[in-house]
Amino acid sequence: MTSIRKLWTALIALLVVSFGVLLWVGYDISLKDPPVPERVVTQSGQTVYTRADIQRGRQVWQSMGGMQLGSIWGHGGYVAPDWSADWLHRESTALLGGWAGGNYDSLSDEQQSALQQRLRTQMRANTYDPATDSITISDERAAAIAKVSDHYERLFGNDPAMAELRENYAMKDGTVPDPEHREKLSAFFWWTAWAATTERPGQKITYTNNWPNEPLVGNRPPASTFIWSAFSVTFLLAGIGLLGWHHAVTHGRREREHDLPASDPLRKVVVTPSMKATAKYFWVLLALFLVQILFGAMTAHYQVEGQLVYGYEAAEILPYSITRTWHTQLAVLWIAVAWLGTGLYIAPAISGYEPKFQALGVNVLWVCLLIIVVGSFAGQWLAIMQTLGLENNFWFGHQGWEYADMGRFWQWFLFIGLMLWLFLVGRALMPALRENSEAKHITMLFFLSAGAIGLFFGAALLWNEHTSLSMVEYWRWWLVHLWVEGFFEVFATAVIAFLFTRLGLIPVRIATVAVLFATIIFMAGGVLGTLHHLYFAGTSMAVLALGASFSALEVVPLAYIGFEAYEHWKLSSATPWMQRYKWPVMFFLAVSFWNLVGAGLFGFLINPPLSLYYMQGLNLTPLHGHTALFGVYGMLGIGLVLFCLRGMKPELRWDERPLKIAFWCFNIGLALMALLTLLPMGTLQLLAAINEGYWYARSAEFMQQPIVDLLVWMRVPGDTIFAIGALVLTWFVASLWLLPRREPHEVPTSSEEAEATRSARAA
Amino acid sequence: MEAFYLEIRHVHIASVLTSGALLLLRGLAFNLFGARWVLAAPLRYLSWTVDTVLLTAALMLTTIIRQYPFADGWLTVKVVLLVPYILLGYFALRAQRRKTRLLSLAGAALVFGYIYTVARAHHPLGFLA
Repeated sequence: MTSIRKLWTALIALLVVSFGVLLWVGYDISLKDPPVPERVVTQSGQTVYTRADIQRGRQVWQSMGGMQLGSIWGHGGYVAPDWSADWLHRESTALLGGWAGGNYDSLSDEQQSALQQRLRTQMRANTYDPATDSITISDERAAAIAKVSDHYERLFGNDPAMAELRENYAMKDGTVPDPEHREKLSAFFWWTAWAATTERPGQKITYTNNWPNEPLVGNRPPASTFIWSAFSVTFLLAGIGLLGWHHAVTHGRREREHDLPASDPLRKVVVTPSMKATAKYFWVLLALFLVQILFGAMTAHYQVEGQLVYGYEAAEILPYSITRTWHTQLAVLWIAVAWLGTGLYIAPAISGYEPKFQALGVNVLWVCLLIIVVGSFAGQWLAIMQTLGLENNFWFGHQGWEYADMGRFWQWFLFIGLMLWLFLVGRALMPALRENSEAKHITMLFFLSAGAIGLFFGAALLWNEHTSLSMVEYWRWWLVHLWVEGFFEVFATAVIAFLFTRLGLIPVRIATVAVLFATIIFMAGGVLGTLHHLYFAGTSMAVLALGASFSALEVVPLAYIGFEAYEHWKLSSATPWMQRYKWPVMFFLAVSFWNLVGAGLFGFLINPPLSLYYMQGLNLTPLHGHTALFGVYGMLGIGLVLFCLRGMKPELRWDERPLKIAFWCFNIGLALMALLTLLPMGTLQLLAAINEGYWYARSAEFMQQPIVDLLVWMRVPGDTIFAIGALVLTWFVASLWLLPRREPHEVPTSSEEAEATRSARAA
Repeated sequence: MEAFYLEIRHVHIASVLTSGALLLLRGLAFNLFGARWVLAAPLRYLSWTVDTVLLTAALMLTTIIRQYPFADGWLTVKVVLLVPYILLGYFALRAQRRKTRLLSLAGAALVFGYIYTVARAHHPLGFLA
């Protein structure tokens, strides 16, 4: 058995076992998720809520933007509160106030402690009766619920007394204009808070594993969060040690000296009509990128002015929930377009085969993508404006699930589009896949990782309108996590190694072994690491244990990413003609840097259960999100675009200045955003969450402090620099068509290049 | 945010003065004494940093005082005049001919002075009001 065959066998076995366990955990979640009762009744027999109320309330929440406005169980936006934690705190204080006759604050410490103990006993007791499918609550609690419900109904309506709070939460006036819908919305919020404070049957831990931290009801991190956090750090160190040992053993086991090509092999590639047709993908992605930055700036600004953008009443037309929706959706979309375009460009370049009607397929797919973007965005806007109607919302409006917000119809359309993309890439690659050479393994890896990206979008189709919240979260993270921390990583590694083999800089065999090994390492942590998003999503302790253990392993390969970066840097100057690829390679280097910092360091900062217990939904989450999503995949997308453009217009001389400016603007801008705003603000919130309770770290009281406002403003320098980078990059790409500059000299002959290469190697 | 109003205003004014002084000194040193060091990277980066701080402080002040460009005349004038100021500043250091550079520098100084008076008067006509 060759080492390549062994690695394929190990990879297949790993994937079968990992996905087997992941599916079993999904089954376990479906058995243990918090129940939605048929009725919530008081001890005196009055019905407070019905299942229909709670489910209708969830539909209302989804239609107004769901996770894009505030959060539920810590998942979602950061300006408005976490509605579960906020409700829980308000209900607790209302109940305490009721018992104290409205004078709770004037009671002595002893009296307050006694009432708090009574509160804990009542709130944590699980009164759900499976026989009657009902939850029974005290009449006093029903009165407290009515009080909190009134607060929410006025907040989501148009009550002038709530105008300031709405502004603080960046909510538009009349977020939910229909009073009946507001009532149902309260039912849903109550149920999420009930699950967060009610102990599982026969256990001393709530359905959300005691999340959020709320001292009033005795929600504190359970002992298991300490234990599994300690183990996760141990696993990380063990993984780093093992991989270090492996590197020490295999280091220096190089194959014979590899002869570098005398001239750029890709210059000989004939640019086919379908390859030329991919240019429009790159123009569109730059437009999407610029629009994404614009909506990002608006979203950040709403944190200061709430409903205004420098005096303009923008929230009437484009409220926070829609700008944030589009900002997050566009991030995924433009990066996806970069990869789709790259796949379509590279496939015929590898095989040298242009299938019939390939260019037509490329053009049709492009039109489909435009229709999906415009159509799904229009549906989301109509939903948030509350004009689409709840009955149409799931299919055509706003699903409210962060990163999976588009209506089901548009999700199906996108899935079909991704299948069309796979078909187009596959048919163009077919001759290369059929070749009986070493190169077919790495071509296969490239195709499989692309295929996994397409197929795993299918996870977004596995929940429906009334699937339990925990199960939606489970499938949603299949989509988001398995993309970004699984197949995207594999795709990134495979595509970069693949390009270097095509340039003749790395022997195919070495690249194949390296990529297969890296894929095994990434997937060993990546698949079951999905569970670290689900610690507190109404799941059992098994999720916490598995998630903590395997997600720690995700960081292991990132600890050694410096080796990869150094290899890339060396290759960028391996031959004189590699100068042509300097900037694509520089962006690949940035991918390595942000993989370490954004994904590795900032990712692990929030990853262990004990950390995430307090940090989930604080600004430390977007710290990881921005630096990992743009830092790794955004940079990779730009690097790939530049690589394709280099091949698409081989005769042009590039003006490197704009690329240099764009490169540094992106890196400096991103670093400033992280270090001046997100990290310090997240740290301040963390202290508040630990000391006062999670609700406080997300409250208007905390978020409207002058120091927080100042930190938000500190985003301006970094964001401005970043935006300049995007404009300059756009100008550079446009100039390739608008102001093309031909190479001043003929390309050196092969013998001249061979001589130059020999000199460079000798040096 | 209002709590930091005075500090932010001071930062804004200090960066305005630094930005203007930097342009004037670099322009004069380059055009009168042929000093090439004024084009060196550290000075360029310093200039960009000062301008970014200036812009950030300006944006913060608009939201504190709730007056905005394109809504309040004096702020509109300031923003619109920024464009010729930046262009003239660029030509003052980058134009091919010395005469163009000197005229651009003088123009930039005039625009800067006028913006300053608009800011002082809180009126679009500045010292003419």
